[in-house]
Amino acid sequence: MNVESLSERGARARRDEEVDVAIVGAGPSGSVAALHLARAGFSVVVLEQGEWPEYNDYTGARPEHELVSTKLWHPNPNVRDNPNDYPVDTSTTDINPLMFAGVGGSATLYGAQWMHFLPSDFRVRSLDGVAEDWPFSYEDLLPYQLEIEREVGVSGLAGDPAFPPRGPYPFPALPIGSVGLRGALGMERMGWHWWPGSNAIPSEKFGELNACVRRGTCLTGCPEGAKSTTDRSHWPLALKAGARLVTRARVKEVETNEQGLATGVVYVDANGRDRRQRAKVVILCANGVGTPRLLLMSGGAKHPDGLANSSGMVGKRLMMHPFASILASYTDPLDSWRGPFGQQVYSLEFYETDERRGFVRGSKWNCMPSGGPVGVSGAIGSKVYVAEEGRFQDFWGANLHENVARRFGHSLIWGIVGEDLPEEENQVVLSKDLVDSDGLPAPQIIYKVNENSNRLLQFNIDRCLESVRAAGAIETLVSTPVRESGWHLIGTTVMGDDPKRSVVDQWGACHDVPNLYIMDASTFPTSGATNPTATIMAVALRNTRRMIAERRNQKVA
Amino acid sequence: MSKDKTFLALADFLIPAHGEMPAFGSVCSFADAEKALDFRVDLKEGFHRGLDADLASSAEAHLERLNKEDGAAFSAVTTIAICTYYMNPRVRELLGYPGQESVLYDSKATQIYLTDGSLGHVLARGRKYRPTPGL
Repeated sequence: MNVESLSERGARARRDEEVDVAIVGAGPSGSVAALHLARAGFSVVVLEQGEWPEYNDYTGARPEHELVSTKLWHPNPNVRDNPNDYPVDTSTTDINPLMFAGVGGSATLYGAQWMHFLPSDFRVRSLDGVAEDWPFSYEDLLPYQLEIEREVGVSGLAGDPAFPPRGPYPFPALPIGSVGLRGALGMERMGWHWWPGSNAIPSEKFGELNACVRRGTCLTGCPEGAKSTTDRSHWPLALKAGARLVTRARVKEVETNEQGLATGVVYVDANGRDRRQRAKVVILCANGVGTPRLLLMSGGAKHPDGLANSSGMVGKRLMMHPFASILASYTDPLDSWRGPFGQQVYSLEFYETDERRGFVRGSKWNCMPSGGPVGVSGAIGSKVYVAEEGRFQDFWGANLHENVARRFGHSLIWGIVGEDLPEEENQVVLSKDLVDSDGLPAPQIIYKVNENSNRLLQFNIDRCLESVRAAGAIETLVSTPVRESGWHLIGTTVMGDDPKRSVVDQWGACHDVPNLYIMDASTFPTSGATNPTATIMAVALRNTRRMIAERRNQKVA
Repeated sequence: MSKDKTFLALADFLIPAHGEMPAFGSVCSFADAEKALDFRVDLKEGFHRGLDADLASSAEAHLERLNKEDGAAFSAVTTIAICTYYMNPRVRELLGYPGQESVLYDSKATQIYLTDGSLGHVLARGRKYRPTPGL
């Protein structure tokens, strides 16, 4: 069986069939749960609103790549305008949430930067007096992190002094290229931390994943099938183990009975018909926007504020990692269209709190290539480096040629991810007037970048400029906070021990509905400052293992 | 003025000859732009609206007006112009851009940062994380 034939596999459950587990969403967390539950003998149906990825549609190897990707593979669903996605009301947010509906989830368009949360991320209250500690520790999660790395096929170099000691990665680190070496040079000259990038991209063939060929188009879908997404890493195995996957199935409601237990879900199928999937247990894996949206749409008259929401916390505490980027140009060639795109090197120099800086918590930096000539021109597509008040002539005519000559092949980008502290005012609600292609209310994002984040980003930008100049940069362009940067959707159904202050317990079970689970980043009490997919999948595995072990004690309808 | 002439006038203003780099019209045609437009049907309406002018005023004045009054048309015309230009093989050759190419490498090769001492400096600077056992 190869991955291209998988779309023919899997099928809807029989009419009125009650399965052990219905999972909403076939992204990173839903895929982990589906694989391990199916292997343990559970009957599993996964409902995914998108479709299987069509690898021929990834244009990275073709000349039209920069033209096509700014629309077809744009991470903002409002720009992509694909009916499989739902639109998002972004009129009340400083940062746009980014996501993708399909088998593999939003990771379809991620950079595959792979990092664990650090020990301090689980203890921010104890260490820094802000937000809350997690109910479990770095050490509790580490075994699951390492197991997931093997399933995903991560490339990296162990021994980073920014992390506790750990064993080797499954595959050697990808080449860091001239871009990574130049980024590292700046950090070395400042005496700061850097390390070769760890990426969810195997450097050697692994299962259905091909070895990376440094195509450099990770963010717009990998035409090589090398970037690890669960359509290749998990679904071939999950289907073999008996899991069933229904695509173009948009779940509109989690149903409950008189006892308040989940009985299944109602979804809209590809033909626009409502269907019901009965299940003993329901798991939501629809991301930090889609999961609270679904809970807010569920519950009926009995729960007018949404299902599992007696705490009032569903949708609240949205964290999206305010992001800044610095493009730096150099006189010598860096071949800066070559991948891997995600992170050739990274730095955790400013990850931990230093109160002298005027803010708490910290940042992760990742050094990336700057891409093709259209992107670095600043003239179209991403308006990242174009001032709103700028004259169009600044980017055209002789200026176009000079900008491209200076930047194309000669530049790198440092991305700065700042930890986002939870605030109840930052939240997901249901839009009153915007609906998706099935007439269901779209989510509305209410989000402001807070003062701590603004200070954090400015401090890190100033340090980053020192670093790139130390390495000889002749031009720098700064963007902060980048509006199109809400890759990481975190915190909107927070986990905790107190049902009055949290939505789920440490195993992802809803306090109000004990057979309804949430296994995506919605449950994270804090956001850390690293890319969250590694932690999302590890937490999902931990929860799933617990569900399997406690199967006989699970309360069901 | 026909649409193809209007477009080429606008494109040559946006992308003139400069140093070694040719003007748009020296290497690309209106047919090339139409082929590019086929990849982005979402831009077609704005593109054609942007060319609906006799250019009695200069190309610059027309673009200035589009930028102020019809952002979608301005975006469509400029996007097609720049993408058509940088998809052109001659332009890519002059830039030294092979496209997003596949690169072979030895995954087991010893990386330079392991032998030149640079990563050793990072290690020598010591632990960065804050341990949390007991918290």
